[in-house]
Amino acid sequence: MKQGMRVVETRAAASRGLDHDSCHSMTTDPTSPAPTVDGRAWTTPPTGPDRSFAPPPPPPPPVGSQRPTPRNATEVLDEMTEVIAGAHGALLASVDGFALAQNETMPNEASHAAMLAAAVGLAHQLVGMGGGEQLRQLVVDHDGGLLLLWPIGETRVLAMLTESRVDQTRLRRFVRSRASLLADHR
Amino acid sequence: MSTGLASAGEHGTQRLVESELGVAASPMRPLVEPSDPHADAPSVHPDGNPREAHAVAPRINHTFKILVTGPFAAGKTSLIQSVSQTDVVSTDVVTSGDESDVKAHTTVAMDFGTHQLPEEGISLLLFGTPGQPRFRFMTNILKGDVDVVAFVVDAHARQTHAAAGVELRSLLSDLRVPAVIAVNRCDDQEAAERVARSLGALAGEPVVPCQLISPASGRNVIVEILLALLDTLEAAESTCGTDAS
Repeated sequence: MKQGMRVVETRAAASRGLDHDSCHSMTTDPTSPAPTVDGRAWTTPPTGPDRSFAPPPPPPPPVGSQRPTPRNATEVLDEMTEVIAGAHGALLASVDGFALAQNETMPNEASHAAMLAAAVGLAHQLVGMGGGEQLRQLVVDHDGGLLLLWPIGETRVLAMLTESRVDQTRLRRFVRSRASLLADHR
Repeated sequence: MSTGLASAGEHGTQRLVESELGVAASPMRPLVEPSDPHADAPSVHPDGNPREAHAVAPRINHTFKILVTGPFAAGKTSLIQSVSQTDVVSTDVVTSGDESDVKAHTTVAMDFGTHQLPEEGISLLLFGTPGQPRFRFMTNILKGDVDVVAFVVDAHARQTHAAAGVELRSLLSDLRVPAVIAVNRCDDQEAAERVARSLGALAGEPVVPCQLISPASGRNVIVEILLALLDTLEAAESTCGTDAS
């Protein structure tokens, strides 16, 4: 099942003619720490001695597609829940607590976007407690599964409900590959 | 939150108000009686910077929790930033939609600051809430064990007053603690009183006209908070005396 899913992901990615940055995300070592999911970071590769941001290898050749390239945030969220095994729903919110897009499978409560924004807002502050500077991910591990949160650029937050056994490494990679589509490009 | 409301003692609280003011708080409520042995005591921080006046870490015996709340864009974060003596923990983010026309940033979870009166061993913990109704759950989280509510309202944002009044009365009927009404962007006591009345503020609830971008103005709100604590202490002591007799 998982292998099949991976093929779908790879095909979808290849069919889009992955840009420079999203290709990079697909080739990142899954054992490395998750970098910040920043929409701008994926469209503007930093320069300098940091080898973790070295220019990525060229994208793999297109091998056809089983699903269309997502064109907007809602389609990206739908793709995520379909491609990632164990993902139930996704919601994109503004950092000030407004829902911007969500799956039909996601509970539709007006307060959710505000709660997600508040949680990420606090988590940004908690980063300093550990001596860090940037929030990468926030995980709410509960008896019903996981709620995973990622800051997307400076102005958005992505939330995903999953089963506990979800492949988080793969999920993170997928989110990073789609971050530029979810980010606010004002 | 463990607070020292019942044990701080009227003497100490009165002195702390005096110290905070440097002068008597308000013509309606003289704080420094001529016979007060502390009347000639030097101000805790005449230069307004207690950290310079007290190089040695103060011993804090009494901690009070202050809830700073009110409608969106009223000046809650400004109040905490203007009076906090420690770095303010802030959850400001950029606004979007119609709210971005009002201001560029907004609090999404909480603000936190502190204000200490070292000689009195008093520490105020200031918890600021977001103002928008969608963040009401944060107010519900933060309001536990509050000693005083500082309710901030913008005098010029009249469209917010009706809802703010409902929120104020609802909050106080729930918490049953004293409130201080800080009317921001207002210099006139009578005008501030009118705004407070439009919110349904009670006669005994102190009203402070203020310009919360100014630290001095923020300190006026702190003074009224301390006075409210003093009143509560006195009321608690008189109740205890009645019970004893």
